Amino acid sequence: MKCGVKFCGGCNPHYQRGDAYRKIKADLPEIDFEYAEEGTDYDQLLVIGGCSACCPLIDQYTVEDEVFKMWSEDHIDKIESKLEDRLQK
Amino acid sequence: MLMTGEQYIESLRKLKTRVYMFGEKIDNWVDHPIIRPSINCVKVTYDLAQDPEYKDLMTVKSNLTGETVNRFAHLHQSTEDLKNKVKMQRLCGQKTGSCFQRCVGMDAFNAMFSSTFEIDKKYGTKYHENFTNFLKMVQEKDLVVDGAMTDPKGDRGLAPHAQKDKDLFVRIKERREDGIVVCGAKCHQTGSINSHWHIVMPTQAMREEDADYAVAFACPSDADGMYMIYGRQSCDTRKMEEGADIDLGNAKYGGQEALVVFDDVFIPNEYVFLAGEYEFAGMVVERFAGYHRQSYGGCKVGVGDVLIGAAALAAEYNGAQKASHIKDKLIEMTHLNETLYCCGIACSTEGYKTEAGNYQIDLLLANVCKQNITRFPYEIVRLAEDIAGGLMVTMPSEVDFKSDLKVGRNGETIGEVCNRFYAAAPSCTTEQRMRVLRLIENLCLGAAAVGYRTESMHGAGSPQAQRIMIQRQGNIEGKKALAKDIAGIK
Repeated sequence: MKCGVKFCGGCNPHYQRGDAYRKIKADLPEIDFEYAEEGTDYDQLLVIGGCSACCPLIDQYTVEDEVFKMWSEDHIDKIESKLEDRLQK
Repeated sequence: MLMTGEQYIESLRKLKTRVYMFGEKIDNWVDHPIIRPSINCVKVTYDLAQDPEYKDLMTVKSNLTGETVNRFAHLHQSTEDLKNKVKMQRLCGQKTGSCFQRCVGMDAFNAMFSSTFEIDKKYGTKYHENFTNFLKMVQEKDLVVDGAMTDPKGDRGLAPHAQKDKDLFVRIKERREDGIVVCGAKCHQTGSINSHWHIVMPTQAMREEDADYAVAFACPSDADGMYMIYGRQSCDTRKMEEGADIDLGNAKYGGQEALVVFDDVFIPNEYVFLAGEYEFAGMVVERFAGYHRQSYGGCKVGVGDVLIGAAALAAEYNGAQKASHIKDKLIEMTHLNETLYCCGIACSTEGYKTEAGNYQIDLLLANVCKQNITRFPYEIVRLAEDIAGGLMVTMPSEVDFKSDLKVGRNGETIGEVCNRFYAAAPSCTTEQRMRVLRLIENLCLGAAAVGYRTESMHGAGSPQAQRIMIQRQGNIEGKKALAKDIAGIK
């Protein structure tokens, strides 16, 4: 399963977005995470925002299944759980 | 093609920019300890553009070439772009705790793009084409460009042509078939030495008799006849001290200003954007100043974030973080800082499309933004100094803290004495406490105060310049009509 990763620009993040991504990636080694690029097909897209605005534009990416958005450390467990569900399907 | 930070630094080494400091020519200015922190600061704008965690703000697709470019070289295509500009500046301020210098070029690009379009429309000149070709080159090579506006101005009561010394405003000295020769100088030039090119703009609205002073152009920073004299900053020579680190407060980053002199510099026609159409000088100034007043709603906020964090750490290290007045002061600092950010975002949100197609900020709100910038950082600094305590300016040097010289009755060294008497809460080492206090000193009254305090006052125009714009844009007649209507005045 290929999951694109898109960070917001990080103007005033309320948590360490990079650390959150590294944790998710380490916890779910079965998923092929990569920084999202235009023109590449992804099964899922993980959008990591620094605050509740979670502002990145994502229309330019091709996503087969679902876009998951997070903007807090508290979202890590929920995101991991949803990605695991997708993996099992 | 985006450059990496390292490539940017190597690109500077290829320039033959003439730099003078303390009465001497500085040949290797790239590695000079006083200059290098300011270069590191610009380098951050390249490094962040390569980082997946930040490139959503730092890069954007060019409307001119369709390629991904650094946002600092971009023409704003929407109000979203205007907001992202402010956010990017906040980010860069947070990462450097300094003036990162690259925004003057971005603001000059956007002001000149729309102004040259309107000049050409009236006069059939080719300035817009010249400018667009220049900007494409800047985008493709990912260059840093200084936006140079402020002339020395001499006697403020006299117009440019009436000055005793005719070069106190940059002027066209000679017109040739293939270009113009310019002379004069620009003061306070932020990042000029770290820039590959300069865009020079007039400093104020001009009248017919000052037509030769209504000039805008681009030239490489190492153009024949051009040189720079480095500006002093508070505590600057601390950077020359051997092994200097803690006492600098911010050892890695800093700002930079210089006097840029044009000693009969030839500018080929293809780099001329205004040459005598005096009634457009005011437009260029107003648009550049508008963008730059918006900019401060981002960059100063980012630096403010660092200062608020430093004050909170100082309180913690002093063991005072639970005191209610400390908490309240941190709240007040945050309130002031976020108010500035609100202004930057607001003038962006209310932006509009120019005739040329790029987006301009709302002038009234941008001037309100900058007017607040002339005040709030001073209050934030006052509160930071209040929280930090007097030690930030009375503490011995880092050499003393590391000294092995025995001075006590029982053989205690200077270092042991300093570390003993300046220890505070167990949550920190004495060195950590020193580091954060020196950072506060750096921001409040050291080298970075040039950017955070005095530049907040005078950069992008002194307070009175904003008040004039607020008066012009404030719609007092409309407000009087509202009052009349409600009061029943016919």
